[in-house]
Amino acid sequence: MRRAALHIGLTAAALVTAWPFLWMVSTAFKGPLEAASPSLGLWPGAWHWGNVAETFRAAPFGRYLFNSFVVSGAVCLLVTFTSLCAGYAFARLRFPGRNWLFAATLCCMMVPFEAVFIPNFVLVSKFGWYDTHAALIVPWCANAFSLFLMRQAFLSLPGEYYDAARVDGCGHFRFLFLVGLPLVRPSVVTVALFAFLGSYNALLWPLLVTADDSMRVAQVGLTFFVTDAGIRVNLLMCASAIVILPTVVLYFVAQRQFVESALGAGIKA
Amino acid sequence: MTGWHPGVAAGGLLAVCAALCACSPGGGGAGDGFRPVDPERAVLWDRQINESAALFRELAAEFNAGRAGVPVEVQHAGSYADIFRKVSASIQAGVLPAMAVSYESMTTDYAAAGAAVPLDPLLNAPETGISPEELADYYPAMLESNRYAEHGGGYYSFPLCKSLLVLFYNTDLVARAGFAGPPATWDAFLEQCRAVRRLTGKPAHAVNVDCSTVDGLIFSMGGEVCRNGETLYDSPEALAVFELYETLVREELAYVITAGSFDDNAALVKGEVAFTLRQSSARNDLVTILGDRRNLLGIAPIPQKDPARPATVVYGPNVTLFPVGEGQTAAAWAFVKWFTRPDISARWSAGTGYLPVRRSALEEPTLKRLWEEWPPGKVPYDCLAFAKSEPNVAGWQEVRDIVGRALLDVLTGTKTAADAIKQMKPQADAALRRAAGNR
Repeated sequence: MRRAALHIGLTAAALVTAWPFLWMVSTAFKGPLEAASPSLGLWPGAWHWGNVAETFRAAPFGRYLFNSFVVSGAVCLLVTFTSLCAGYAFARLRFPGRNWLFAATLCCMMVPFEAVFIPNFVLVSKFGWYDTHAALIVPWCANAFSLFLMRQAFLSLPGEYYDAARVDGCGHFRFLFLVGLPLVRPSVVTVALFAFLGSYNALLWPLLVTADDSMRVAQVGLTFFVTDAGIRVNLLMCASAIVILPTVVLYFVAQRQFVESALGAGIKA
Repeated sequence: MTGWHPGVAAGGLLAVCAALCACSPGGGGAGDGFRPVDPERAVLWDRQINESAALFRELAAEFNAGRAGVPVEVQHAGSYADIFRKVSASIQAGVLPAMAVSYESMTTDYAAAGAAVPLDPLLNAPETGISPEELADYYPAMLESNRYAEHGGGYYSFPLCKSLLVLFYNTDLVARAGFAGPPATWDAFLEQCRAVRRLTGKPAHAVNVDCSTVDGLIFSMGGEVCRNGETLYDSPEALAVFELYETLVREELAYVITAGSFDDNAALVKGEVAFTLRQSSARNDLVTILGDRRNLLGIAPIPQKDPARPATVVYGPNVTLFPVGEGQTAAAWAFVKWFTRPDISARWSAGTGYLPVRRSALEEPTLKRLWEEWPPGKVPYDCLAFAKSEPNVAGWQEVRDIVGRALLDVLTGTKTAADAIKQMKPQADAALRRAAGNR
């Protein structure tokens, strides 16, 4: 009885969670009038398969998705690398001002994006990176949260590993990449996942620093369905479903590692 | 494990400091010259999408084909808020496009930063200018909002994508409620709302809380909203507007839609409400949603206190030119001038729902064909003759927020119309004074 109640409760919770996603997918195939009405109904009155073609006509989503993968992939790799190195350094190296530097790094987490986008834009413009991939990648190749996560992961490793590796002649880099990295893999996956999603979902920054269609990313494409006089809800939902698909796949692929890391680090998944 | 050598750490810190110093705002900032984002093309940052964007690019290509010199390129730069952010950041960076679409409040800020090209020299130049006869062809309300009293009364922007406030109505619902046509006066509007309520048992009007709508309604009551740096939101006309909303809510004739949404348009086309007050450029979206049932959509001038002396509000973005070099400015100005030509203006209007900025555009065959195909489409053009613009003084953006909050107070029953006005007027005046003091 208790088990049945639990299952009913969980199913209800799952439905509530999944409903917006299902609504997005079903609305993607509704007609303009049906989609414009504020209804939570899932089944379209008539299926408009042509919405997909119309969505791709409204903006070059193929190119945008390619750019999103290039940019997010690069950011993901760079953030993972910088967080690994810096996290290891803060956890295991002794150098003057280490704690102050770490505190200063953590302070970066408290500065909202809105406060730094103008200085960042100025910097990027002065480097001549406006409308280039560099503008989309370089400013985001390190971040305090990922660094913090990796530092905590390295702190959790017993000191004996380091001592044993050192006796065997391991330097910092060899230890980091041959011994430490496999041991903190769940945290690395989490950092990579967050970095990828953060970059993939970014809208304002890519909109600010790019101009040409050849440089734009998928999220920018979503702005192509909102005018100052109305929203094309069905096409917007269609575009959203297309844009969200890779992240959903990525999450399912990395889900186990992500949950492991979340449990290990004591953060809410 | 070995620690870092102090010298290495110090060296690293020095390098970071040097990089930060090198990149801090210095040369090339506001006021001492700007570089173009693209030296080869005069870029226009715009917010149009889909069919409108395609038409804008098509027109730009046509302009470029007929002329030597720097070509113009239209680039989508997000919403108006995004464009403002992008231009503000670009002013700091010293790199700007040749031009960008902008509301008056945005242009005021650009001009204050020394980043807007004064247009009077271009307008008055014998070769590139616009003759007084031609200038008289432009609608005064559209032109005047581009002259900025705080900057010597000169032109710092030029009208581009204009709309005006109209009444959209559901023809079927209005007919079933027993009326031959839309209301011409506010009393008739209330009467029709009551009849629709009796018919459907639901509110007849979906309200989009917006300062421009309030201003349009005040104009229609015969009032003004600002004079000599002081708002007139305590006038009898303003009170009449707020009391109208109070009545609509008290009698459950209207409801407020979610801020930023277009739920009113959806309710209108579905026949859930009979009336919405929106900008005329919403026409295209509404017609798209309705498809082959577009006859359900009616467009009328907003109701008036005295239909013999009608008024409504005209709004919509202009274009501001940035000082990024003579060649770029020349191309940008030539494009703006070309774009407001009657034939081009008419094509732009027919394709997008925006209104032409010159009277002679109304004689163009493009528009006449449009009106023959769908007569309600002519209404916004007829309203151009009595449309008035909102103030373009510094601080008006804050005033807009204050008015929006006051209207929401009335619509939610938190305050009476009289109380809302009593509180709104001094707040709005203080906002204008603050903005004037900051200049």
